Amino acid sequence: MNKLPRKSVAGLEDWMCRSLFEQVPFNVAIIDRDYNIVSANSNFSEYFGPWKGKKCYKVYKNLSQPCLGCDARLTFEDGQPRLSDESGVDQHGKEAHYVVHIAPLTKRKGGAVKYIVEMSRDVVETKNWQMEYQLLFERVPCYITVIDRNYTIIRANENFRKNFGDVVGRKCFEVYKKRKTKCPNCPAARTFRDGQVHRSQQTGIKKGGEKAHYVLTTSPLGRQTDQIAHVIEMSTDITDVKKLEKEVIEAERLSAVGQTVAGLAHSIKNILMGLEGGMYIMGRGLEANDREKLDQGWDMLERNFNKTTSLVRDFLSFAKGKMPELEIVDPNELVEEIIGLYKTVAAEHGVNLRADLDTKVSAVPLDPKGVHTCLTNLVSNAIDACEMSDSKTGEVCISTSDKNGVLSFIVSDDGTGMDSDIKKKVFTTFFTTKGGKGTGLGLLTTRKIVKEHGGKISVRSKTGTGTTFRISFPKSRLNMLYREEKSENELETQVRERP
Amino acid sequence: MSKIRSALIVDDEPDVIAYVGAVLEGCGFTVHTADSSENGLKIAEKVSPDIICLDIMMPKESGLTMYTKLRANKELAGIPVIIISGIQTEEEFDFQQLVRDSDVPPPEAFFEKPINVSTFEKEVLHIVDHLKAKRARKKGVL
Repeated sequence: MNKLPRKSVAGLEDWMCRSLFEQVPFNVAIIDRDYNIVSANSNFSEYFGPWKGKKCYKVYKNLSQPCLGCDARLTFEDGQPRLSDESGVDQHGKEAHYVVHIAPLTKRKGGAVKYIVEMSRDVVETKNWQMEYQLLFERVPCYITVIDRNYTIIRANENFRKNFGDVVGRKCFEVYKKRKTKCPNCPAARTFRDGQVHRSQQTGIKKGGEKAHYVLTTSPLGRQTDQIAHVIEMSTDITDVKKLEKEVIEAERLSAVGQTVAGLAHSIKNILMGLEGGMYIMGRGLEANDREKLDQGWDMLERNFNKTTSLVRDFLSFAKGKMPELEIVDPNELVEEIIGLYKTVAAEHGVNLRADLDTKVSAVPLDPKGVHTCLTNLVSNAIDACEMSDSKTGEVCISTSDKNGVLSFIVSDDGTGMDSDIKKKVFTTFFTTKGGKGTGLGLLTTRKIVKEHGGKISVRSKTGTGTTFRISFPKSRLNMLYREEKSENELETQVRERP
Repeated sequence: MSKIRSALIVDDEPDVIAYVGAVLEGCGFTVHTADSSENGLKIAEKVSPDIICLDIMMPKESGLTMYTKLRANKELAGIPVIIISGIQTEEEFDFQQLVRDSDVPPPEAFFEKPINVSTFEKEVLHIVDHLKAKRARKKGVL
C-alpha cells in the first residue's frame, strides 16, 4: 500500500494514480509502440505472469510476433479507444478469455500516441456459462423458439430446426402451423399482452408434413419493461403420447365391445327364444285351429322382430368409436326438442313431462345428436319408471343449470326408484329392469357419450320415491375440445392442400 | 289315477314363459309362472310343482339365488330344476363357481336358449318320470 504523501498536490495526484493503477479490478498494462510492456499492475502479473522486458503478444498469447489484426496497432495509428474480445494463455499456460479495453495515452489531445493502456478482464467463467446455456438451449429435448412482436422467429434450437426446418426470420404461425395469418387464440399474443406465462395444447405440422402434437408454454423474455419485446416459446412434443392415448382408448373400446358381445349373445338368444316360441305357438294354433293361439304367436313374433331392431340400433350406437361432432348449440333448445318429442307418449302413460330451464344457460359446444340420444334414453327410462310405479300418475322433469362453469342436464322422475343393488348395476352392459322391453344398453351408451364430452353422469334414487340422473359438462372442457376439433379440422385441410 | 303334473316357469321374459309354458302344457303339465325369483319361491312353496324351469339372469334376484334357497328348503329341495338360460351351458356355465358353494348339488339339467323342443320335452318327461320311479322304489323299500 502506498503511503499518503503530505507535502505537495502533485505528490497527492501521483499517489492517487498509483493506487488506482494497482487497485482497479482489471489487469492493466502500458505498452509502447514496439509492443513492449513498460508497466503493469499486480493483477496483470498474477493473471499473465512475469512481463518485464517482454512483448505484449508474448505475454498475452505466447506468440513470437504481433497478432494478426492487432487492435493496439490501430489505436497507435488513429488514437481511438477500442474494445475487443480476446483469447490467450494465462501464466499457467491455460486458455484464457478476456475482454480488453484499449485507450491511447497522449500528452495532449490529438498528439502522437506513444503508449497505450490495456485494461483486460477475465471472462472465462462468463464464456463457460454462455457455452453451457447455448448447449442447453440447443440440446434440450423440447422445441424452443424466440419470437419478436411481429411473430418473427429470431432464434430456434437444434431440435426445433431438425423438425421444422430452417426457420429463423420466418413467421411462427407459418412455421408451426403452415398458416398465412396469425393463429386464433395465439398464446404468444396473450403473453405479449399481459406478460404472463401461458400454456396450451397445440397441433402443428412438421417440415415433412406430419402432424405434431405439443404442449406449448409461452413466457416473456428479458427484463420486465412496459412492453415485452420477445416471447420464448417452449414446447414438449406429445405426439407419441397422443398416439398411445388413442391406442389405449381404442383398446378399451375394443375390450368393452368384446365384453359386450357376450351380453349381446345373451340378448340375441332371448330374442331367438321369443321368435321360436312365437312360431311354436302359431304352429299349435294352426294345428288346433285355435285363433287365440295364432294371435298370441303372431304377437310374440312381432314383438321379437321389433326387439331385434332396437337391439341392433342401440348396439351400433354403443359400439361406435366416434368422437363427438361439436357444434355451438343452445342446451335449452335441445331440451325443448325432447319435450316436444315425448310429451304425447308420456301423456299416454299418464306421465306429465315438463321442463325447468335455467335462462342463464347459454350456447356451448356440444354434439347435438349425442346429447339428444342421452336425453332420449334418460327420459324414456324415467317414463318407464313412472309407469312401473304403483301411482297412477307420474311426473318427469328435465331441467338445465349453469353453475360454476358446469352445464348440467337433470332428468328426474317420481317413479319406482332403485334400490342400491340396481343403482350399482345401472351402468353395466345389458343390465335391464324392463325384462324383454329393454336392451340394457341405453344408460351405457349415455355414459359413453357423456364421457366423450369430458363430462360425467351421476344418479340419485330411492325406492318408491323416484330417480334423478344428472349429466354435467365442464364448459372449459367443452371449449377445449371444440378448439382442438377446429384446429384438427383446419390442419386436416392444410395437410390435404399441401402440394 | 295319477295326479296331474305341474310345472313352474320362472323367467322375467314373458315370451319365454309363453313358449316354455306352451311346450309343457303340450306334455300334459299344469303350468304356473313367476316373473322373478322372489315370486317363484313363493309359488313353489304354495304349489310344490313337479319340476321348475328357471332362468338365471333376472333383474333384482338372480335365478341362482332362488336355486340356492330352493335347495336349502327342506320342503322344496327335492323338486327337480331345469335351468334355461342364455348363458352358454358348456363353455361358460360353471355352476359350482356361480353358486360359490360346493354343498349345493347341481340342477337336474341345463338348457341353452333357444331350446330344442323335442330334446326339452324328452328331458323334462325323463326327469319327472325318473324321480317318480325313484320315489316309488323308496316307498316300496320302506
